[in-house]
Amino acid sequence: MRRTVKLAAVVLSGSLGIASLAACGAKSTDTTSAGSSGGSGIKVGMAYDVGGRGDQGFNDSAAAGLDKAKTDFGIQTTEAEAKTGEADSDKQTRLETLVTAGYNPIIAVGFVYQAAVEKVAKEHPNTKFAIIDSDSPTQPSNVTSLEFTEQQSSYLAGIAAASKTKTKHVGFIGGVQSELIKKFEAGYRAGVASVDSSISVDVTYLTTPPDFSGFSDPAKGKEAAQGQLDKNDDVIYAAAGASGTGAIQAVASKPGAWVIGVDTDQAKQPALAKYQGSILTSALKNVNTAVYAYIQSVKNNAPLTGVQRFDLKSGGVGLATTGGHIDDLKAKLDAATQQITSGAITVPTAPTGG
Amino acid sequence: MTTTQPAAKRGFLQRIDRERLILGLAAPVLAVVISVLICSVLLLTSGKNPIDAFHIMTNYASASDGQVSILNKATTYYLAGVAVAFGFRMNLFNIGADGQYRLAALFAAYVGGVVNLPSFIEIPLLLIVAMLVGGLWAAIAGILKVTRGVSEVISTIMLNAITTGVIGVLLVPGIFAPGNAGGVSNSVQTKLMAPSSDFFSITTQGGSLYGFIIIAVIVGVAFQLVLSRTRFGFDLRATGRSESAAGASGVNVKRMVLTSMCVSGALAGLIGMPDLLTNSHYFGQNFQPGLGFTGIAIALLGRNTPIGIGFAALLWAFLDATAVMLPLQGNFPPEIVNVMQGTIVICVVVAYELVRRYGLKRQQQKVGAQLAAQAASAEKKEVAA
Amino acid sequence: MGTANAAVELRGITKRFPGVVANHDIDITVRSGTVHALMGENGAGKSTLMKILYGMQRPDEGTIAVNGEQVEFSTPGDAIARGIGMVHQHFMLADNFTVLENVVLGGESLYGIGARAKAKIKEISDQYGLNVRPDALVEDLGVAERQRVEILKVLYRGARILILDEPTAVLVPQEVDALFGNLRELKSEGVTVIFISHKLHEVLSVADAITVIRRGTTVGDADPKKVTARELAELMVGSELPSPQSRESTVTDVEMLKVDALRIAKRDAEGIERVVLDDISLTIRKGEILGIAGVEGNGQAELVEAIMGMLPLDSGTVTLDGTDVSRELTRARREAGIGYIPEDRHRHGLLLEAPLWENRILGHVTEAPNSKGFRLDPAAARQDTLRIVQEYDVRTPGIEVTAASLSGGNQQKLIIGREMSHKPKLLIAAHPTRGVDVGAQAQIWEQIRSAQREGLAVLLISADLDELIGLSDAIRVIYRGKLVADADPATVTAEDLGTAMTGAARGHIESDEDALAEAAVIVAEDLGRSDTPPSDAQPSDTPLGDTDTTDTAADDAQAGE
Repeated sequence: MRRTVKLAAVVLSGSLGIASLAACGAKSTDTTSAGSSGGSGIKVGMAYDVGGRGDQGFNDSAAAGLDKAKTDFGIQTTEAEAKTGEADSDKQTRLETLVTAGYNPIIAVGFVYQAAVEKVAKEHPNTKFAIIDSDSPTQPSNVTSLEFTEQQSSYLAGIAAASKTKTKHVGFIGGVQSELIKKFEAGYRAGVASVDSSISVDVTYLTTPPDFSGFSDPAKGKEAAQGQLDKNDDVIYAAAGASGTGAIQAVASKPGAWVIGVDTDQAKQPALAKYQGSILTSALKNVNTAVYAYIQSVKNNAPLTGVQRFDLKSGGVGLATTGGHIDDLKAKLDAATQQITSGAITVPTAPTGG
Repeated sequence: MTTTQPAAKRGFLQRIDRERLILGLAAPVLAVVISVLICSVLLLTSGKNPIDAFHIMTNYASASDGQVSILNKATTYYLAGVAVAFGFRMNLFNIGADGQYRLAALFAAYVGGVVNLPSFIEIPLLLIVAMLVGGLWAAIAGILKVTRGVSEVISTIMLNAITTGVIGVLLVPGIFAPGNAGGVSNSVQTKLMAPSSDFFSITTQGGSLYGFIIIAVIVGVAFQLVLSRTRFGFDLRATGRSESAAGASGVNVKRMVLTSMCVSGALAGLIGMPDLLTNSHYFGQNFQPGLGFTGIAIALLGRNTPIGIGFAALLWAFLDATAVMLPLQGNFPPEIVNVMQGTIVICVVVAYELVRRYGLKRQQQKVGAQLAAQAASAEKKEVAA
Repeated sequence: MGTANAAVELRGITKRFPGVVANHDIDITVRSGTVHALMGENGAGKSTLMKILYGMQRPDEGTIAVNGEQVEFSTPGDAIARGIGMVHQHFMLADNFTVLENVVLGGESLYGIGARAKAKIKEISDQYGLNVRPDALVEDLGVAERQRVEILKVLYRGARILILDEPTAVLVPQEVDALFGNLRELKSEGVTVIFISHKLHEVLSVADAITVIRRGTTVGDADPKKVTARELAELMVGSELPSPQSRESTVTDVEMLKVDALRIAKRDAEGIERVVLDDISLTIRKGEILGIAGVEGNGQAELVEAIMGMLPLDSGTVTLDGTDVSRELTRARREAGIGYIPEDRHRHGLLLEAPLWENRILGHVTEAPNSKGFRLDPAAARQDTLRIVQEYDVRTPGIEVTAASLSGGNQQKLIIGREMSHKPKLLIAAHPTRGVDVGAQAQIWEQIRSAQREGLAVLLISADLDELIGLSDAIRVIYRGKLVADADPATVTAEDLGTAMTGAARGHIESDEDALAEAAVIVAEDLGRSDTPPSDAQPSDTPLGDTDTTDTAADDAQAGE
């Protein structure tokens, strides 16, 4: 078998040979990179997370911002989405390809792009990048982080929940126990406590990272909501992405109980419209606003840089009023909004005890 | 009688049966062709031109950055394929490579973040940590099989799920992630590993090529050497071919199961290393999952031989790497690549089995024929005498 | 060809494989309603011929006529449609199905799967005296009963011409007699039976006509009423056979293997403990062959596995050459000098899909020339495989072909060669000649005897009583996990041994003088006890037998070199 071994060695080391060959070949983008930096309009590249356009959530919201910018500014766009289980290097390749095809700025949707954006941005300092929901101390200056003060909208949601509860028990369902969702919990707790500190808050997280199914499993959401209803919670805030729809269904089946949606105005979603009577409000996270604002800033040659937080003041977050269920609380909520925007109240970003 | 010739001295090329070689190659080639056809039909029905799609793929593969991307991926895939194949060679289905490499990568990343030694100690240390963790994790399934007769397929699938849970428990601030999370993000990750843990990469025009490809080559050669040139390898192959015959021949089958499960797990521990040591330098939630399953497909396609796995890994890497280009350059869904990979695996498994049976029958016939010929010529001599 | 019509007529059948002729100018006429025996070595072209008749292969030349009508078969289905059925040597029954289910399987359209099918099975069973119970589970049936189910299965599909491939290989003498009773019943009902065998006395007792095949062609027909076993053997081998010689005892008084109070209990599926080996004690001395007789499934396999270290002992000891090996693993026992010719060589003795030289390593991977330290030495192993192939006359085109492509006899010769190459102290030979063609059979016996001469202790387990009596120095009978009887092969007949195997006789068995004298002649003829090395490559000293024994002397000659 000695020869077999030799053959194996030859073939395998042959792959190294191809590597040196690779160094001689032309790059895939040599012909396509027209370097259209000087063109009339700007070209925006958008890299979505898994799900992409049409996911009824986060990616869709970003797409809405892109669409609005497209109609308003007449920009050129290209979009691509991530594949399930792909390697980080695939994300890099995706961004890399957008860069060399002349797209600038490039918007990456979701924290999963953090490492890839950082790497590609360092290699292409003349291209501007934006990343939603993520930042890191090591990212270069051509990366802009678009983040949201979810704790503020959650605070308002807490006020609404505390004002509506009759049992003095409210619930919180987090999709995945990550830092981001803990922000929601912290704001919500603070909001509840600001109304009546004797109200207890039940907290359920559906999954723990790296299991991210808590964002996409309505059955889990339903089960968790049912559990909280059984514990006599009568207002439940479901910050759990698509799993939230399960929670909404569960709550809607119990008269007198309320559910608070998240990210988009869930009462307006076609699939959930029939539960409108049970959806108290939704804590909005307007990714579209952020995307639009960012593209606008680039268009106006005054690009947003560093870490940009979209808050109550700028309309990045807020509460939905569809259904008019919180109209009676308007005065209370406006006052709280006023206090937050003026800085009189600082909403905590991490839950304290519990 | 041909046995009187010094057959042992005959060259390698004469020894391998040309016909069987062609048959062996026919299977994967056929599988690829069929899968290309199926994908073409799929694309046509959705109103897209398949030729454009394949053109995008081959274009990217002929460019230098595409090739680097393919080779980098193939490095990882090769390790995954070898890890799984090691078990397959003795009929052990290590479905758990997926869990083993993720857990191994987590521990290696953690150790890399805590320990800062010179590279020549640091890197071997990290590789050993990864292999140890992967091996021990796989050993659980091995022990269950040996002592309680639990099928390794079931236990490793369960261990995969448990791995996800274990990582969830460990990868939280204060344990494996830095206590005070820096930026505000959904992402929880281990501390950045010490710079000394950086495995070298080769800078080419098409980007940086993982130096880890050398480790993959070493693993491949070692795999072949161990299997074909050691007693252990012989025992392993014998057990894979016939457990009962191996048992009767004196192989301690239980110990063999445990050992090969551990080795398979240890090799699986390496799967995450190319990315960890040359690219990401931390273990986070964007760490690529599912490579263990990719490894199963590649081992099947490569017929569990080091060379076969090499080609299979390259093919897989080609498909995956070029898939990224499909939506960007032609608005094609990258999922067609998944379809292609799936159909290749199914076709190839079926085709290999058919070829195997045909080959065996063919050889029996040929041997019979050759013996009859010998007998006939002997008779002639007799008559002449 | 007599008064009866020909059921099957083969004329000038020739089958070529690329470059070779496997069958040529075969002429056979099988009269309707007779038992027609087809004799010849494996590799003589018998199996190819049967495959042609059963539609599995097409002849290149020649014609087949069934009941006077010329036919061409391209699949076994065509043959079945013409009323030809085949009972294979290895049964093709699903163990966990009932007899009824097994019979209707694949033939559901004939009589349905319910009461009608059952009635038909009963009818056939009664008609031919097969005594088959349709509702019995196949796994509960003995070998002989399973064989009858196979026969019934073929009849159920309307076969009037039965091909039986070595049907007696798996049966004990009493069962053989019963089978022959069935065959006579079938014959009287007008069924034609083609009976493949190389056991001369069986053929002589049951066949109405005999055709002998040698080297791919028919060498002659014989009338069993007129021909003697000796003449028949000569016809098969193609030359005159030498007379057997008696042999001297080589038994010494040095104990090589001592098994003491061995006990093994197994739990069956229902969790009930079943004692498979009960208080087994035996001793084999250097140069002694100890034969174990017994109906299969009475603990022989477990005894072998216990000595080999493949089954854990509940109690008792195994001592090899003065060393207690009871706690040793199989490998250590092999290294200590146990050679093993397993009962089921496909399961325990070979890697079927591996080349011959890898099979030569199997079982002895830790020993020279196969390895040096932890490294395998394939070159040396190959070289040594060539030596074994030559010394033990393994007929193969090379050592790179897979073991599966060799015939049973050649596989067995390779195994024996391998085991003998490591200078064992004890050789365990379990059914060493099962499924082996006659040519190889005599060679294997000779090899076992020469092992004995070299001072090995041999544990011989066999279902072939003539083999046992012919080879052994002492015989023990195993029944339900116990050694219940012993016998001196010089003073016992196969019939009396057979009685003891059913548990009907215990203690020391001795046959009466007349029977013995008669049997001695047969046995002596069977197993030419020639100790003189063959002098040339041409047939010279081959034994002749009416049981399993006929042989080509050429094989023997080469083996002895």
